[in-house]
Amino acid sequence: MTVIDHNAALARAGANVTGWWSRTLFFARRYPLGAVGAVIVAAFVFTAVFADVIAPVDPTATNAKYSLAPPSSMFWLGADFMGRDMYSRIIHGARVSLAVGAGAMGLGCVLGIAIGLASGYLSGWVDLALQRLMDIMQALPLLVLAIIMAASLGPSLRNTIFAIAIPLVPSVARVVRSSTLSLRELPFVEAARAVGMGELRIAVRHVLPNTLAPLIVLATAQLGSAILVEASLSFLGLGVPEPHPSWGRMLSESAAEYVRTAPWLVIWPGVAISLTVFGTNLLGDALRDLLDPRQRS
Amino acid sequence: MRLTRAVWAAGVLGLVTVASPSFAQKQGGTLRISHRDNPPSASIHEESTISVVQPFMAVFNNLVVFDPKEKVNSPDHIVGDLADSWSWSDDKTKLTFKLHQGVKWHDGQPFTSKDVKCTWDALAGKDSDIIRKDPRKIWYNNLKDVTTNGDYEVTFVLGRPEPSFLTMLAGGYSPVYSCHVPDRVMRSKPIGTGPFKVVDFKRNESIKLVRNPDYFKKGKPYLDAIDWKIVPNRSTRLLGFQSGEFDMTFDSDVTFPLLKDVMAQKPNAVCEARPTNVNSNILINRDAPPFDNPQVRKALVLALDIKAFNQILSQGHDLDGAAMLPPPAGFWGMPADMLATLPGHSPDVEKSRAEARKIMEGLGYGPNKPLKIKVATRNIAIYRDPAVILIDQLKQIYIDGELDPIDTTIWYNKIAKKDYQLGMNLTGIGIDDPDVNFYENFYSTSDRNYTGYKNAEVDKLIDQQSAELDMGKRKKIVWEIEKKLADDVARPVIGHNVANTCWDPKVKGLVLQVNSIYNGWRFEDVWLDK
Amino acid sequence: MGAYLVRRLLLMAVTLVGMSILIFALLRMVPGNIADILMDASGNDDPKEKARIVHDLGLDRPVTEQYWQWIDGLAHGDLGYAFVSERPAIEEIAPRIPISGKLAGLAIVFAILLGVPLGVVSAVRQNTGLDYGLRVLSLSGLSFPSFWLGLLVLMASVQWFGTIPIYDADAHGFFAQVKMLALPAIVVGFRSSALIMRLTRSSMLEVLRQDYVRTARSKGASNASVNYDHALRNALLPVITVIGIEAAFLVGGLIVTETVFNIPGVARFLVEAIRWRDYPIVQNLTMLIAVVVVTMNFLVDMAYMVLDPRIKFG
Repeated sequence: MTVIDHNAALARAGANVTGWWSRTLFFARRYPLGAVGAVIVAAFVFTAVFADVIAPVDPTATNAKYSLAPPSSMFWLGADFMGRDMYSRIIHGARVSLAVGAGAMGLGCVLGIAIGLASGYLSGWVDLALQRLMDIMQALPLLVLAIIMAASLGPSLRNTIFAIAIPLVPSVARVVRSSTLSLRELPFVEAARAVGMGELRIAVRHVLPNTLAPLIVLATAQLGSAILVEASLSFLGLGVPEPHPSWGRMLSESAAEYVRTAPWLVIWPGVAISLTVFGTNLLGDALRDLLDPRQRS
Repeated sequence: MRLTRAVWAAGVLGLVTVASPSFAQKQGGTLRISHRDNPPSASIHEESTISVVQPFMAVFNNLVVFDPKEKVNSPDHIVGDLADSWSWSDDKTKLTFKLHQGVKWHDGQPFTSKDVKCTWDALAGKDSDIIRKDPRKIWYNNLKDVTTNGDYEVTFVLGRPEPSFLTMLAGGYSPVYSCHVPDRVMRSKPIGTGPFKVVDFKRNESIKLVRNPDYFKKGKPYLDAIDWKIVPNRSTRLLGFQSGEFDMTFDSDVTFPLLKDVMAQKPNAVCEARPTNVNSNILINRDAPPFDNPQVRKALVLALDIKAFNQILSQGHDLDGAAMLPPPAGFWGMPADMLATLPGHSPDVEKSRAEARKIMEGLGYGPNKPLKIKVATRNIAIYRDPAVILIDQLKQIYIDGELDPIDTTIWYNKIAKKDYQLGMNLTGIGIDDPDVNFYENFYSTSDRNYTGYKNAEVDKLIDQQSAELDMGKRKKIVWEIEKKLADDVARPVIGHNVANTCWDPKVKGLVLQVNSIYNGWRFEDVWLDK
Repeated sequence: MGAYLVRRLLLMAVTLVGMSILIFALLRMVPGNIADILMDASGNDDPKEKARIVHDLGLDRPVTEQYWQWIDGLAHGDLGYAFVSERPAIEEIAPRIPISGKLAGLAIVFAILLGVPLGVVSAVRQNTGLDYGLRVLSLSGLSFPSFWLGLLVLMASVQWFGTIPIYDADAHGFFAQVKMLALPAIVVGFRSSALIMRLTRSSMLEVLRQDYVRTARSKGASNASVNYDHALRNALLPVITVIGIEAAFLVGGLIVTETVFNIPGVARFLVEAIRWRDYPIVQNLTMLIAVVVVTMNFLVDMAYMVLDPRIKFG
């Protein structure tokens, strides 16, 4: 693992550009698919943050008259069984997905970084023990571990985030650990040590920033998989409970009942999930090309 | 299109002949039915769900049974099953059955009066090897002893007259078990005397029953086998029915929003709508604030718009009623004009809500100072949907409810511990009978009285109607109890569910009973016209 | 080499023991136990009956004793009794394994048949419209929730064929089974095929840049022969490994797909068992999955060592 500098990577990629705007334009030209992904992700985050403003009506307001109303000028994406506006629910669903996706990714990264740094930096028996713990967690597929965690913790938004974050930890820890191992012996770290800097400070000030590039790549990929896992958990009835409008649950409940009579209830949440994850994947691919040339695809 | 939407109502009025002419039946064939979930076990006496009764009732016989040709379960239409005849003693406290001779259990052992005694001794709460759980113990509070006289006569000794006792023996929940088959076997591969034997019960997969060639009712059953396939996803189940993989849907599986699609895809399907005798009701914790205050309870019930619930949940097909299933399908429920006088059932919702708001304002609540509460419910759709609507309606009277979805495994635990304020609940009534309903759900000592509702006056009335031999007088007491429960806001009923069951036209001889889904699944008269 | 093998196997054992403790502890953290569920099914709240069930199932004994009993049983090939069906757990689990196995196998075959050729085409035609199209397709494969894909397939199947594949335990013969499992296998395999395609493409690209490929080309070998003979063969190594890893991780996809298509395999059974708090089933199934994953990882490493002499282990 080499030290990767964002600007250097851009420069290497042939950019002779300065300024945020032109750099963005360059990125868009160099990675058109990545730019599309970035736009999707930005739109998703914007929707989630400003859901209250964007959504035309309260996503939990029921109305007997409009049960299963098809898409119309009044309900752009139709209404569900309880007459709740699908469009507003999908908008608010973005918030749930973002909360779970970003929350799980964030928590997973924080825990993973802590474990990875400790593991790579302290080495010895700490490393051995932590690595075995990671082995154990990786001995189960992500979804299986998340299902068991979710069932153990019970249904709630916070618990769902936790259940998805834990299985994400090992891959982060592994990446951070391997970067740390290679960085530990590099001259600038030695130098910091020589001037009497504390080990913890070295780790946080010098080692961590240099593991950032692979971490960003990994985190983007994990955001997508966290959203997918949330949807799968909710589909299996183990995810975010009512009243939060979760895309996965909307999908599973509509699918169980109205896949034929009200297909819009199945189409739109599925489109929302797929599009969001697709966006993060496109962005993640481009970022990897940009930041991690060794894995360039 | 042979949609017989109002058949149950017509059946009550005697306008429809439902019995197939007996000369037409054909032997043979396998009836394929979809099942909605994994039955917790195969032992009917240990469970309280249609998931067990519908597939396994065909394995057993009762002493007596509701006449399978009649659509309404009522005390007037009870016929013999394992009992050839029965009689009450003069003081109406002893009920003696003469048993059919020569009946054999599926394992070849002879059926005798001892088996009947074993079954009801166990159900009355004596130590037993044939059941482990006993959810309907309260049914047999009045049963003092079971005595046998030889192998073919058995007498139930009651503490006081109870005309409903015979009715309770006629339901799907009252099969006769044998003395010699342990509870564990009864839960996994039960042995009965009935028309079908269990070949295999695979968890989450299938239940296979085959014809019992030694069935004591000669010539029956007509089917060679019944195959149940467990398909938890409703749309997959219904697709299977539409494409001919199944001959019949699970009971009440077709909700009204789905009916149109089923009929469109399978125009020759026979679909019958009928009340399930399952009602949605609100559990109220009357021992803790804010609902320990009768004023708040009253405001709550005045805020309900039953029509709106009904419109969403069943496109307006559910029935408005009090504690008992309302007539004409229900045998006991109070007449509609009486119902309209009960709180929460008034046709003028806006007026009731204005009254409720006045009560709330009097207690210091208002648009800017709402009462914050939690509405607990099982985290499954059929419970959650009405709860979401309830919360929406309570906004009208300054109550700001938050949904508290409870994992279904700890639901009863939480309710029993009184760890809730409001709960949305579904209650299935095994038999349309006041003893069954009132003793289970409202009697102070019942372990299925989840809210722990205690009212000495109501207890007394329940006992009084139970002992009343005159049907007319008894109905009056029943209505009085219904009214008292409603006035006291014991467990406000949101609606009595109505749903559709569909089958292929080649399935003949099936008679759905309109006042309980838990009866009428013997399948011995069903045949396939191929 | 020998020392490495011993170390690897030892680590595998440590992982599995750790897994057994983890799953055992997690299950006992779960709110509600089997007795709660059984009482819930009957809908009566009788502490005496509940206590009897708890006692019958041995859940009132100290957890360490319960753990030891499980591990001791495992060592003797005894998986204990399922709580819900009250039959030996092995009788519940064993018949479901081949069902999931067949589905996973079929899915892998489909994933390879679709993923490898498309990956090669994508690499050979790098940066053309075709390449972009295929890359978007493969990314969408990784983005679709598999249950949604499954539902769309079901909807389409009803629309076009008027029927859906309903699992039939009595279907015998190769073709009958393939016909029954084809649709779900495609749904499960689609994700894997996307992964395989991406990997094939990137390793093809890497090989195409290598010196010996350039040499072959400069010696006048035809484009096709270079692309398909030299490059593909060398590019397949990482693909084989990802197939190995993906095979184990298919379990995740199987869970939802078996649910959507109602296939009575082990994956869906695991979720059901968790829901029912059927500890013996969950514990043993989780261990089974862990063993499969760990073994697959081991085999992949071994394959690497055998196939790629550049990799050394110390």
